[in-house]
Amino acid sequence: MSRDFATRLSQQLSQFVPHSAPLVLLVLTLAAAVAFAAVSHLVTRFNANQQARGRKLYAEGMADANAHRFDDAIAAFRAALTCDPSDSQYQLSLARALRDSNDPRRLDEAESYLVALWQRTPQDAAVNLALARVAAHRGDIEDATRYYHNAMYGVWNSDSDSNRRHVRIELIQFLLKRNASARAESEIIALAASLPPDPALHLQTAQLFAQVQDYSNALSQYQEVLRLDSTNPVAFAGAGESAYRLSDYNAAERYLRDAVTANPENANSRQLLDSVGLVLDSNPYRSHISDAERNRRIVAAFAQAGNRLTECAQQLGIDLNPSRSGGQSGSVNPPLDSADSSASPLLALQLRWSAMKPSLMRLRTPRETDLPDSIIDLVFQIEQRTASSCGPPQGFDQALLLISQRRQAAGQ
Amino acid sequence: MTDPVPVPTAPASVFLRTPRRLFTSLEGVFHEEVFFLILSVFIGIFSGLAVVCFRLAIDWTHLALLGPLPHSHNWRMFAVPSLAGLVVAVLVMRVFPGIRGSGVNQTKAALYIFNGFIPFRTAVGKFICAALAIGSGQSLGPEDPSLQIGASIASALGRQLEISREKLRLMAPVGAAAGLAAAFNAPISAVLFVIEEVIGRWSAGILGSVVLSAVSSVVIVRWFLGSEPLFRIPVTTFKRPTELVAYAVLGIVGGLASVAFAKSIGYLRPRLKALPRWTQYFQPALAGLLVGLIGFLGAPQVMGAGYDAMDQAMHGQFGWKLLAILALLKILATTLSFVSGTPGGMFAPTLFIGAMLGGAVGDVERIFFPHLTGSTGTYVLIGMGVLFAGFLRVPMTSVFMVLEVSGNYEIVVPVIVANTFAYLVSRSLQAIPIFDLLTRQDGLILPSLEEAREETILRVEDAMLAVPKTILNAQDYVDAAARRVQDSPEPAFLVRMHPSGWNTVSRDQLQRLFQEGKGEHTLVSVLPPQTLPSLYPDLPLDAALRYVNDYPLVPVVNRANSHQLEGVISRDSVFQKYGQK
Repeated sequence: MSRDFATRLSQQLSQFVPHSAPLVLLVLTLAAAVAFAAVSHLVTRFNANQQARGRKLYAEGMADANAHRFDDAIAAFRAALTCDPSDSQYQLSLARALRDSNDPRRLDEAESYLVALWQRTPQDAAVNLALARVAAHRGDIEDATRYYHNAMYGVWNSDSDSNRRHVRIELIQFLLKRNASARAESEIIALAASLPPDPALHLQTAQLFAQVQDYSNALSQYQEVLRLDSTNPVAFAGAGESAYRLSDYNAAERYLRDAVTANPENANSRQLLDSVGLVLDSNPYRSHISDAERNRRIVAAFAQAGNRLTECAQQLGIDLNPSRSGGQSGSVNPPLDSADSSASPLLALQLRWSAMKPSLMRLRTPRETDLPDSIIDLVFQIEQRTASSCGPPQGFDQALLLISQRRQAAGQ
Repeated sequence: MTDPVPVPTAPASVFLRTPRRLFTSLEGVFHEEVFFLILSVFIGIFSGLAVVCFRLAIDWTHLALLGPLPHSHNWRMFAVPSLAGLVVAVLVMRVFPGIRGSGVNQTKAALYIFNGFIPFRTAVGKFICAALAIGSGQSLGPEDPSLQIGASIASALGRQLEISREKLRLMAPVGAAAGLAAAFNAPISAVLFVIEEVIGRWSAGILGSVVLSAVSSVVIVRWFLGSEPLFRIPVTTFKRPTELVAYAVLGIVGGLASVAFAKSIGYLRPRLKALPRWTQYFQPALAGLLVGLIGFLGAPQVMGAGYDAMDQAMHGQFGWKLLAILALLKILATTLSFVSGTPGGMFAPTLFIGAMLGGAVGDVERIFFPHLTGSTGTYVLIGMGVLFAGFLRVPMTSVFMVLEVSGNYEIVVPVIVANTFAYLVSRSLQAIPIFDLLTRQDGLILPSLEEAREETILRVEDAMLAVPKTILNAQDYVDAAARRVQDSPEPAFLVRMHPSGWNTVSRDQLQRLFQEGKGEHTLVSVLPPQTLPSLYPDLPLDAALRYVNDYPLVPVVNRANSHQLEGVISRDSVFQKYGQK
């Protein structure tokens, strides 16, 4: 019956078929236009519904992602994307969730979403940042740096200066984690050059400089912090330590004292302050001290160096007394390998120290102008040699070693 | 009792309407060929619009029935496909007979048997039932139904416009290409598939129309649904030629999987069709229940077309074990859905199985040979082509499909290698391709390109006789000619005409002319002023059949020099060659 109906319908329709080709084409064009409009309306309505559903799913996904329920978030974002496959925000969020889910297999998928987005909007800072983080997850320094830079110079929707600064700090931290200190340092210098007068930012920058052992710039940044916030205890401590590392002990003492005063619990600053005090109190080259005081310091340093030499030799099992070993210099008991290599220089220093000892009596003689330097040179050589053979010293020996290093640096 | 093969019956008027009013009134304005090309564009537009609606219908059904976030262990997973299966079965049995299965065979049958007639009702039925089936989670794809919807629209349009029967016959493949291209967003693959599988032979005459309709439908789909590819293609590379061995292994495994898939369908389908008719009301529901249970128990990826899962596999989301399990489950689920008679296609499931299998094989290979550089995505992509080549047995389409989908020509060599192995394995273990098998199960025998490839074509040179010893000239006198042929055993002789051409004269004819007293006449003056047709050695032997009845000898000449005789063809030599074959 339905077939008959179809046949009749077909026959009736055929009565309306135009009999001229231009007319046929016109009718077909009109029919296509009507069908196009109808489908267009249908698609628009369908898409509107889908977009509403997508937004709902996206909100669910964001809630899951914020709660670190990444599997649920991924499912929700995927469903949102089925509602609106072209929505870049959904794609970006899905890529982020995939990346943050700590499943290495999902990084590929995250990257493919992001690369697709990047191809459409290469200037989008958020996309570049997400790609940089994927590359950082992979440990790919080149790609990560490239995308972080793209993100820094890309387009941000709001608060671009702050966002760019945060991206640079993230890049610096990534580079530091990957032991790329030189690259990190250049990024920190660039960061420092564009900082607003914000003590927290200067403090963070100073700490980053300190991390890459650029103490000069670190000290400058700490000083800038103190200029903006003159009571900042962290800045005092950081500045003190930076000055200490730069061998500027006077400045270090000043900052560290303020740091300890501001925060008596700061053990590190207190320890450094003690060390600085020793350096300043034992430095025979310190200005504004009398000859007598200088001579006293030289004598004390000489004695300390002799003790250090003996202790180090004992630690290595080297007998520094030639009379007990039958006059055989360098006698070693027991003959340890490490001692073998250290014995000869230590013995030579011991001989020089012993030979120098009587001359201490001539320190007060005005004609002996080179004698103080000769004694102190020997002291520094002993401290440096024992430091390399027996490990870093403590206390007075450490102070003497620091003074020697400072002298060396000044001489160079 | 076996359900009779649903044969589309055209109204008598379709075949009896001889006056083609349109073209009789348009002579001089539009040539029918030109009009047909323009019509192809409209077919593409209408098919594209229909496919857009079809895809929306599937999405809407899926959302409405299964929700936006289908999870395992949800009762809907098995309840929905079961109930939808019942509805689909009633519609198929009661309202839309003839929409079972994929639609590729029906389109081909329309071309070769039903003069291009596909009822428009088929398009409507296919649209509704396939959208319901796929949207509810049956393991079937939307591509083959789109193909049939396009073909049906084209056929209806052709009938309404009363175009010639010859053109009407070609409307179905033109519409099929449009429908498939729109569904697949890949016009080249669609054109090749229609040529390889629907038309079944290379035909330059229809190529222009097929291409026009495919391109216009893709433009429409991209207009409405965007140009996003079906999958996000990962970075695919091919670095070392030695890795071709790995892809060859994938081809072999894919070929074996294709055979298993094809054989399971080929075995179960006729048996289920042979069950009592009332059971067919429940077969789609049962298939839906089983497929739904697979989803319910933890593999929801196998439900529906599965493009999302393919996308995830392409990006290494699944381990090799899960990939292998999904491939096996998809073979099972698609077999169940398809053999139950649920309308839906096999393209997407084939791609799904190939993707999962490719990923699994690639991952396993990398466990044993860690130096292999191909990513999981590369293997997934190539796996898709492998199943296409092995299961659907469309080698050309399979290669271009991967290239078109990936947009990456770097992997063309691995694709060709893997697909060739899959095709060869499949051919050696399964003689009849799946679509041909389904057609034969329905009682129809249609031509196929694979058959044509295997067919040995007889050529003129195969039946050609050597150049005769006696060749007469047009200027020879009749009595001299009669003397020359006196001792020759042949009954007829070639006469070389001047300045060019050939003629024949028989011994009896010469005798008669001589007795009539025309011995002093030249042959050219007494022979009828006709010239023999010439053949070339490389022509199919069928071409000689047109002449051998009218002429005792037909000259075979060189293509570069028509004066140079290569041999002759006679009726006896032709028939003798056919007889040998």
